[in-house]
Amino acid sequence: MDGAANITAAALLQQILVGLSRTTILFIVSSGLSLVLGVLRIPNVAHGSLYMIGAFLTYSVATLAGGGTVGFIVALTVAPLGVALISFVVERGLFCHLYEREHLMLLLFTFSIMLVFGDLVKLIWGSDYRSLTAPLFLQGSFSIQGFPFPRYNLFLLLVGPLVAAGLWFLTNKTKIGKIARAAAVDREMVGAMGINVSWVFAAVFVIGCYLAGLGGALVAPTQNITQGMDHTIIIEAFLIVIIGGLGNIWGALLGALIFGLTDAIGILIWPQFAIVFPYAAVVVVLLFRPKGLLKSTW
Amino acid sequence: MKRVACLILCLVGCVAVLSATPALAKKPIKVGIVDCYSGPPSTYTNDVRDAFKMEIDKINAAGGVLGREITFVTRDSKFKVDIGLSAAKELIMRERVDILMGTINSALALAVSDLCRKEKIPFVVTFSKSAKITGAKGHRYVFSITENTAMAGKAAAVGLSKKPFQKYWIAGDDYEYGHAIAEGVWANLKNMRPDVKLLGESWWKVGEPDFTPYITAILAAKPDAVIVATGGRDCVPFLKAAKATGFNQRVPFYMHTATELSTLKPLGLDAPEGVLGTSNYFFYYPRSAANKAFVKTFQKTYDRYPAVGAVYGSLAADFIAGAYQKAGSVDTEKFVDALEGMTVDSPLGQVTMRAYDHQAMLPMFMGVTQKIEGYNFLIAGDIMVIPGEKVMPSVAEIKKAR
Repeated sequence: MDGAANITAAALLQQILVGLSRTTILFIVSSGLSLVLGVLRIPNVAHGSLYMIGAFLTYSVATLAGGGTVGFIVALTVAPLGVALISFVVERGLFCHLYEREHLMLLLFTFSIMLVFGDLVKLIWGSDYRSLTAPLFLQGSFSIQGFPFPRYNLFLLLVGPLVAAGLWFLTNKTKIGKIARAAAVDREMVGAMGINVSWVFAAVFVIGCYLAGLGGALVAPTQNITQGMDHTIIIEAFLIVIIGGLGNIWGALLGALIFGLTDAIGILIWPQFAIVFPYAAVVVVLLFRPKGLLKSTW
Repeated sequence: MKRVACLILCLVGCVAVLSATPALAKKPIKVGIVDCYSGPPSTYTNDVRDAFKMEIDKINAAGGVLGREITFVTRDSKFKVDIGLSAAKELIMRERVDILMGTINSALALAVSDLCRKEKIPFVVTFSKSAKITGAKGHRYVFSITENTAMAGKAAAVGLSKKPFQKYWIAGDDYEYGHAIAEGVWANLKNMRPDVKLLGESWWKVGEPDFTPYITAILAAKPDAVIVATGGRDCVPFLKAAKATGFNQRVPFYMHTATELSTLKPLGLDAPEGVLGTSNYFFYYPRSAANKAFVKTFQKTYDRYPAVGAVYGSLAADFIAGAYQKAGSVDTEKFVDALEGMTVDSPLGQVTMRAYDHQAMLPMFMGVTQKIEGYNFLIAGDIMVIPGEKVMPSVAEIKKAR
């Protein structure tokens, strides 16, 4: 085995770029989870299911819209909104009556929602694999110093910072963002100021779930859309949120970077045991910062 | 009043059901199928069940076996060993099935096989790829009508040994199936071609969402060819990532199930071309009249192309019915004796159940993914047939393993 000899600077650079594009998906999904966790105090296990629904909806909408570039762009716009609508119904219909319950109850409740969503997906889309094609201009790859880099991954690299900027703007510059941050710290006080906290929560929940749907929509062309994708992502998203600091969306960004990059670099330097790398990174972080890297809102 | 009406309705319903079942002279032969019918594996298992049903319907319409009808019941294992095993027990104890069939989950197949050894119930394995079933853990009551990792490995090695590649990389799912396939290919290939060299290995978790970093890392090592030991639901995303990175254009790679319908159909025309794969069956190969007839009936009944599972289902029905016919009685011991060494006609041609290890001697087809006009997905071309005798581990090897 002369695996180590393959690690050139170009290979490393390319691996980092690939890792960063994976980070984008992880960040989008886990920032939504973190937002809901921070403001509403709901550990939403069903977040992964919304991600899965986002991917399935993207597939269906893109197919209905005739596929191709137009179909993909329509799906990328509509599918996350569809997920947001579903989450709005769930929040107004179910969650908003449960905010006063203890965490364990909420956890069990979201867990049951996850199972219901899982079965719904099976009912609607069946158990076959689905696959969506990236639009023509995002297919294939181009070469970076002799190594292939998929165009779609470049697209993800552009979307990631956009979403991060959007989230920053939302939480720091808009009124609802400011109220949400205040409600995260002290919801009673916000209520005492005469603000309808319930509707703030609904808005935050919907935004968080929109991000799950967006993650699902973005990931749809790169993998097969299937049942079970909810479980994979929710575990990773929770780990990211935990190492980043519960409820802190910038923590989610940091966590996603650590997770995505250790994964990609681990694969390059020690491929037999690559699975271990991101989890080992989580352990290391938690050993030194048991409460996560950034300030937790909990 | 309402209650009474309800009761009457129930009674009427019962009578209707009872009178609907035809009065049979003899007790039917009952087959119990335990398999995963929920989640992604059902893509494969539905074909087994549906083709089995199609075939026994045909047999029953022609008067059944020994004047008996063949019936079957299914249980969903949900891909879990404990659920599947208790379902198997329930089928034996309560449903009193004569034969068990299943499962796609290898751990469950081995567990049910062990149960059947104790209960002396014949067990026909329909999809598990573990070589242990008819190898190290084989016994009198277990039969396999599907290829296993040892056979796939050997077939791939036969095919790959004819190619000029020397420097290989192995990559796969980090669980039993992946390692077993990889080891099967590599040990046999090394045997046939001592000059091959292994550059390195990568192992990913089952359900890996993104294969791009793995592929780019493999490309950095510049192997001549790659053996990809991934199965089930990971095949589709792997092929997608292969296409996006241009992997198939840079380095040829072999993936056991790459040419299978369940892998290629979801990808449509976006599947990468030139990928080597092996399979027991294609609906377009063998190009025999028997296969064409089978495909036609299957399509008419279920409105889809039969995938490899369909052949396993139809083989199961034919072996079971044939063995009872040959045994001339419904006695289990006579059935087992009859099934040993039996040959049936199938869409693949004649298939024999090897007497020593109870493994059906299935041929393997190695092909390359190609775009062919008339199909809106890729199919396998340049098919090389590796006959059953060449694919099977020798009886001596099985003896050693047991």
